[in-house]
Amino acid sequence: MSRGFSTAIRHRRLAGVLWLSLLASALVSWFPLKKLFQPMDEGAFREALVKGWDGWGFLSFLVSRGPEIGVALAAVTGAFIVFALLQIFLTGGVLRILIDGRPRPVFARVVAESAGLFKANLWATARFALTAGIWMALLVAVPVALLGKLGKDAPPNTFLPDLAFWWAVVVGAVVLLNVGLRFDLARVALARGDARNARGAYRVAKQSLSGRRLSGIRIVLFWLALGVAVQAVFTSAGLRINPRTNSAVTGLLVFRQFGFFLLAMVRVGFWAALLAWEERRRPAYSVIGSASGGTTWKSSEEIATSAAASASPETGSSVTTNGSALLSS
Amino acid sequence: MKHIAFAAAATLALALPAAALETPRKIVDYDIRVSFDPETKIVEGSETLKWTNPSDAPVGELRFHLYWNAFRNDRSTFFKESGGQLRGDKAETGKGWGYTDVTSMKWDGAELIKGARFESPDDGNPDDRTVLAVPLPRPVAPGETATLAIAWKAKVPKVYARAGYVRDFFMFGQWFPQIGVYEPAGRRRRTDAGWNCHQYHANSEFYADWGDWRVAITLPEKFVVGSAGALVDTKTAGGKKTLTFEQKAVHNFAFTADPRYVVVEDAFDPAKDIPKDEIALASRTLGRSEAELRAGFHKVAIKLYRQPEHGAFDRRHIEAQKWALAWTGLWAFPYPYAQISIVDTPEDGLGATGMEYETIYTTVSLKWMSRWPFTRLFVPETVTIHEFTHGYWMGLVASNEFEESWMDEGINTFTELVMVDRKYGTYLELPPGIGVTNEESNRVSALTQDHDPILSSSWKYATENSYARNSYPQPGTTIQQIRRLLGEQAFWRAFRGYAERWRFDHPTSEDFFDFMRASGNPVVAALIQKTWYGRGWVDFSILTATTRPDDGFTGFDDADKPVNFDPDPKKKPPEKPDEKKHKGPWRSLVTVSRDGDIEMPVNVALTFKDGTTVKRTWDGASGWIKYRVTSSSPLVKAEVDPERRAVLDRNPWNNARFTKKYEGPSAAAKSRTYALHLVEILLSTLWGVL
Repeated sequence: MSRGFSTAIRHRRLAGVLWLSLLASALVSWFPLKKLFQPMDEGAFREALVKGWDGWGFLSFLVSRGPEIGVALAAVTGAFIVFALLQIFLTGGVLRILIDGRPRPVFARVVAESAGLFKANLWATARFALTAGIWMALLVAVPVALLGKLGKDAPPNTFLPDLAFWWAVVVGAVVLLNVGLRFDLARVALARGDARNARGAYRVAKQSLSGRRLSGIRIVLFWLALGVAVQAVFTSAGLRINPRTNSAVTGLLVFRQFGFFLLAMVRVGFWAALLAWEERRRPAYSVIGSASGGTTWKSSEEIATSAAASASPETGSSVTTNGSALLSS
Repeated sequence: MKHIAFAAAATLALALPAAALETPRKIVDYDIRVSFDPETKIVEGSETLKWTNPSDAPVGELRFHLYWNAFRNDRSTFFKESGGQLRGDKAETGKGWGYTDVTSMKWDGAELIKGARFESPDDGNPDDRTVLAVPLPRPVAPGETATLAIAWKAKVPKVYARAGYVRDFFMFGQWFPQIGVYEPAGRRRRTDAGWNCHQYHANSEFYADWGDWRVAITLPEKFVVGSAGALVDTKTAGGKKTLTFEQKAVHNFAFTADPRYVVVEDAFDPAKDIPKDEIALASRTLGRSEAELRAGFHKVAIKLYRQPEHGAFDRRHIEAQKWALAWTGLWAFPYPYAQISIVDTPEDGLGATGMEYETIYTTVSLKWMSRWPFTRLFVPETVTIHEFTHGYWMGLVASNEFEESWMDEGINTFTELVMVDRKYGTYLELPPGIGVTNEESNRVSALTQDHDPILSSSWKYATENSYARNSYPQPGTTIQQIRRLLGEQAFWRAFRGYAERWRFDHPTSEDFFDFMRASGNPVVAALIQKTWYGRGWVDFSILTATTRPDDGFTGFDDADKPVNFDPDPKKKPPEKPDEKKHKGPWRSLVTVSRDGDIEMPVNVALTFKDGTTVKRTWDGASGWIKYRVTSSSPLVKAEVDPERRAVLDRNPWNNARFTKKYEGPSAAAKSRTYALHLVEILLSTLWGVL
């Protein structure tokens, strides 16, 4: 964890790139939102809304601004898609920077490295979505349906319906954590150059996870909880601030962006912690992938050396041998 | 003042005790014996019905409601109207059908059922079997009591619309052959006597005569039974028990059975449970002493039949029930019965939820609403208050829900919104204090155009939404508008006058309007005409609001001398004075408009930069009005209806306009910023996955 925190602080600029990606994506919806809220400065509720909440203003706004709300929602959906693509794109670059260890310059390098890994990361994301869907169907949807059938005549809030609910929540979360962790490790493998494509990266991730799944999930859970806490604190404080002047609104905007920046730092911290975890558990040699079915390995020491010199770890000296044989040795 | 004096006189005249009934006219007397098998859902019943001809003409045919035939198949009028789903619950068309078959009906030893036929007085649907017409071998003479022996068999439907079963939960509402209402000439303003016995419609079911009831229910011992009426006898034999209940002076009888019920008992004690500030307010407003208001109150036993997992809602329902008993007792008249039963339906039987019967009703508890942050969603309390109060506007002041559904649902929505907002402040509230009131949630109906007037038979509205709007929020909000127009004293005196006059009787819409119009306020009379009988609407707005320096007179005076300008063409015209440096006076022009056909007075507030506000009242009679004002400070804001008294206003967002002189903070910027943060929060959740 300490590696995560220290890296997050050291790589503030990297967190800045992630925060910018969030802000830029959100700004996709800016103009529709601007248009949506424009009448508030002309209407009867202006002063009431500046002071705080106005239930009637809110309800009547929802009813009378239906088309504008529709446009704004479409823009938010667009922002969501843009942000998702940006994250798929940026993760490769972020990981490369963290592996490299140099905190600056950042922006150009993140973009350049991300571009090289985008296609493989996109495939890895598609595989993640597919795998998550299959496991969710097998381990969540089917059992919940079966429990539903078994408990068809059971009253609500009794054992079987409650079991079905909690099964869906807990097993669903476990499935997502597992599949998500392997997805994350696959992206680490791609960034380290341990694999050339998503398929190989998933194979490497599986091997990294073997026997150490719980400690990996602990890392994910810790940083997830930290992110939720940061989000909760800033959201709650943001709501309580309730700015009543234009400069206070600007202050709120800055304050909340600082919160999102901290959230981005948490994200960087997570990746750093995961890299450290993966590194500590790396065998003497790690896989970088082979199209021939054999596997190429190189020593961790050499990775560190080569990583410092270049963003492309494939330039280090390597040994080609049978991966599984080495892993089991 | 003149209005108030006239109102008081007219209200008194209309509320003359001679016209009001202390007890209902007893037309029916039911003695019912029923047994049911929870496995097969089959019900075997027999009843002795004593029916008295209330008219001065002989009656040659009887009419009965067979409500459960609505669930017989998909050809019933109910099914066709509802499409097999009601209030979000869907009919189980596999094995969920139900029915009622009258197997025998005897009068003076003669079997009548052979000559019986089904009637469809409302829509002519030949497949509907919810109204049974039974010709008699001889007419029932005026005032004569016919004693009928009726036997029937029924199957309980799977619940999706009010009555039925889910697992071992049973709700028996409208479950037995019930005689319709034979209305003498003059009753409910009808010109000639006749049956008022409508088919069972998706949206209405209540209209019946008062009487006494004795109901013996036989069922397996494990069941806990709650019913209208008091338990007077219990017998057990062979794993079964027979419970006998009695209730006087009601016009329907419902019961429920479920082995899982936990029974919570409490009592309404007027000495403790009438809030002091509420009785003081009622006393001041109604002009009656507190002692007079307390006179009819008595202790009422409260029984809550709740699901075992809903313990967290015990206090919530009981407190709401006590508040409703206190409030209705003060503002209408005290509840006359000795007990009230509250049925908490299971969460998989929500089709039975939110249903009113006399002295028993169903309410809702959803477990998630007992947990943070949903504990201030006052839905359970609101449903409890709403359904109990139906006991007044359907039960005690027994309107005809089939023909004038607003009189039940609309008046009830009005009293609900007053009660909920007064007790809880908000109706739905989430942290940190973001909420809407019950009045606001109902007022939304006024914001949109509709296809029907409020007053219509329940099955004749253009759409299901139109029925819902015109039966619940629209009349509720329009009554609120009348209240605002009449003022608290005149309105509540008229309201209580209506309730007391029509207690234990069958009023019509016009009977309610008589009380509201008694004030002589022509705006109210016109409002009633335009909303209950038409599709009236209104939208107030500020069309223009401008302010500019008043530099005095410019041009030639009467002696052709130039004033404040130089006519020499060689000289440059003087530069326009800088508005920022102008010390006054200022000249402002405000145009206020009223669209729509409802006329009503509103206030117009003009606010100036130095903080002063000038208020004017506009009668709203013309389409628009202009205000020209000269002031020492520039106008910054013009607002129509600043107190938000015009609750029917279709678009409240155009009620104010700011001039360029306004320098206050921007609500748009604030809202936009919060919205942007919300979008960022939403997007950042992806960091947990991607």
